[in-house]
Amino acid sequence: MIRLPRFRHLPVTVRVPLVTAALMIVLGLLASQTVLSALGRVQDSRLSETARLHLEGLSVALGPSVLRQDVWEVYDILDRARAASDGQRLLLTIVADERGQVLAATDPRRAPVGESVTGFEAGAVAPDAVRMTGGTVLRVLAPLKYQGREVGRIVTELDVTDLLAERRAVTLWLLLGNALATAVLALGGWLAVARILRPVGTLVRAMDDSKGAPRSIGEADIPRGDPGLARLIDTYNRMTTAVKERGQAERRLSERERFVSLGRLSSSLAHEVNNPLGGLLNAADTIRTYADRPEVVRESAELMQRGLGHLREVTRAILDQNRLDRAGQPLRPEDFEDLRLLFAPEAQSRKQVLDWRIEAGAEALASQPATPVRQVALNLLLNAGAVAGHGGRVGFIVTNGAAGLSIAVSDSGAGLSPADLGRLMASGPLPPGGGVGLRLVHDIVAGLDGKLSHDRVAGQTVIRVDLPVRGGAHA
Amino acid sequence: MQGTRRALLIGAATIAAPWVHAQIPASFRFALTPVFLDNDASVIAALRNALATGMGQDIELVQRRTYQEISGAVLDGSVDAAWTCGYPYLQHRADLSLLGVPVWRGRPLYQSYLIVAADDPATDLADLRGGAHAFSDPDSNSGFLVTASDLARMGETPERFFSRVIFTFGHRNVVRAVAGGLTRSGSVDGYIWEALNAVEPDLTARTRVIAQSEWLGFPPFVARRDRMGEPGVSACKTALLGLDRTDEGRAALQLLYLDSVKVAEVSLFDGIAARMAVLGGG
Repeated sequence: MIRLPRFRHLPVTVRVPLVTAALMIVLGLLASQTVLSALGRVQDSRLSETARLHLEGLSVALGPSVLRQDVWEVYDILDRARAASDGQRLLLTIVADERGQVLAATDPRRAPVGESVTGFEAGAVAPDAVRMTGGTVLRVLAPLKYQGREVGRIVTELDVTDLLAERRAVTLWLLLGNALATAVLALGGWLAVARILRPVGTLVRAMDDSKGAPRSIGEADIPRGDPGLARLIDTYNRMTTAVKERGQAERRLSERERFVSLGRLSSSLAHEVNNPLGGLLNAADTIRTYADRPEVVRESAELMQRGLGHLREVTRAILDQNRLDRAGQPLRPEDFEDLRLLFAPEAQSRKQVLDWRIEAGAEALASQPATPVRQVALNLLLNAGAVAGHGGRVGFIVTNGAAGLSIAVSDSGAGLSPADLGRLMASGPLPPGGGVGLRLVHDIVAGLDGKLSHDRVAGQTVIRVDLPVRGGAHA
Repeated sequence: MQGTRRALLIGAATIAAPWVHAQIPASFRFALTPVFLDNDASVIAALRNALATGMGQDIELVQRRTYQEISGAVLDGSVDAAWTCGYPYLQHRADLSLLGVPVWRGRPLYQSYLIVAADDPATDLADLRGGAHAFSDPDSNSGFLVTASDLARMGETPERFFSRVIFTFGHRNVVRAVAGGLTRSGSVDGYIWEALNAVEPDLTARTRVIAQSEWLGFPPFVARRDRMGEPGVSACKTALLGLDRTDEGRAALQLLYLDSVKVAEVSLFDGIAARMAVLGGG
């Protein structure tokens, strides 16, 4: 057995036409039912009217003849009435006297004179109660009154084959018409929805194909006629640009950080090498001057050996230091200097005003681990730089509060979107889309038992991170 | 030539109209036998037209349901002449005189037919015992007397022999009753049946003739014996006898499937008289 895909798993371009078609079918059924029931009522009343007029007319004409029991007169009237009614509706009309014996019938072979009429009264109803029951022949029974007295009765068989055929034909046409209309509308719905949702498909493909690096959608593919969708795609395009810029910034920063590390390494190497270098050069000079004095040469050689040993220690130490994972290292003012070195060119490229204040002392800084705090600060700075936009303001203030270290990052941007705020402040499931930087900030701060707060003051968004004093954070 | 003469006649009649009206104040009343094709308005109109032309005066055709009514109307003077059946004529032979007798297929004679439904297996009168029977009129020769006298010869009466007897007061109705199955058999005027066979073949096709009587005197035109000298009655007699000599008359005769009307003696109806005797004796 083929397992069909569940309805809600079908693409929306299939689901909407299916729903349209289903609604059309329901509508068609309701309309058909209404039409058929109206037709049924019309047919019933037509039938009832036919039967009533026929019987009333006959009753008036037949009264005296039935009273006289004049078989020929009754037959003559019935026969002429039958011949006069060109329609095939009246199959058989039987007139019986008050004892229920047939006086005459339009077809005397079926209802011979003198026979009991009882057999023909089975299933017969009064003219007003005639209803289409599905049978091709309906029987109607009415008393025959003359001068206020019931002198006999009339039974009529009505042929309703044509009415049934009419009803069948109407049903068939309704069915065909509705099926056709449903098919046309479902197809139309399909095409319309597919056309309406084409930009959404483009958007989905753009997001899917990118393998994590969303690509923007070309101007030609943006449906300017649909403001909602156009806005959605514009937002998406801005988002992709932001993500791209941020990726580029991160790449640039990591390169710069490498250069910065390299520079620090070189300078410390130069410094450490330079210190013993003077002594070594002196020793070398002494050896050359007093080459004939073995004790001086030996002393100078020992000095050189110590100096070189120191150099070896220095290189090993530098190598060790730079090979070390910085995780677990205490935070130092240099870390913020590094951050500034990293971020200042970003701000400069956007012509942003940077308010950079490190007011916390080295001691307060040392109570915090370097790597996570750097990561938090860098993420917040990158976010602030991105939202502050061209010519905006970005503030970075580190203060030493009573409770611990406090880092406030401010920007003059339009404020965080609810989704971004959700990423930053809440611990719930990550909302779809957007970057992970803010959520990373949230998680790291939570890991440091810190507190995040968000405020909007005088057109500035301020995100404050309060980190408690941590004992033994020193490596 | 003929057209010119007719135009002259019409012109003369128009000029003479006030004078004629003064001479014969009331229109001539002519009673029509119901045995006839009473439902054919064109036949009746043609006959009235022919008689009016022949007599030069208005004719009022009076239709009655039964022979008895027609006989009564002639005898009490409420009509001036009538086309009736040989049987009622003989019944009132003392008071009635013959104006003329129609000639059908060359002779002033016709037959009575005994008919059944086309699919009925009966071959003669005896086979019809116990069935319902349709007569035309109790005063009709072909539509009653012939069968009744045949039964009398068998020692039967219609009421005993048949399960039910109905009178339809019209030969065409007898054919309808048998064709429609209302009765098993019927007694009908042979001339009418043959005429219907030409006009309504679908109706007669549903019936079958199983017995034909001997040739009997054709239903005659009659007037009261004591009024035969009246100008109207004489004019009527002249007009009837001259029907085959006018266009209108020939047209009417053609519609009636008749050749002409000729003078006849009472002896023409001896066959009917013989049957009356059988019935009277039975």
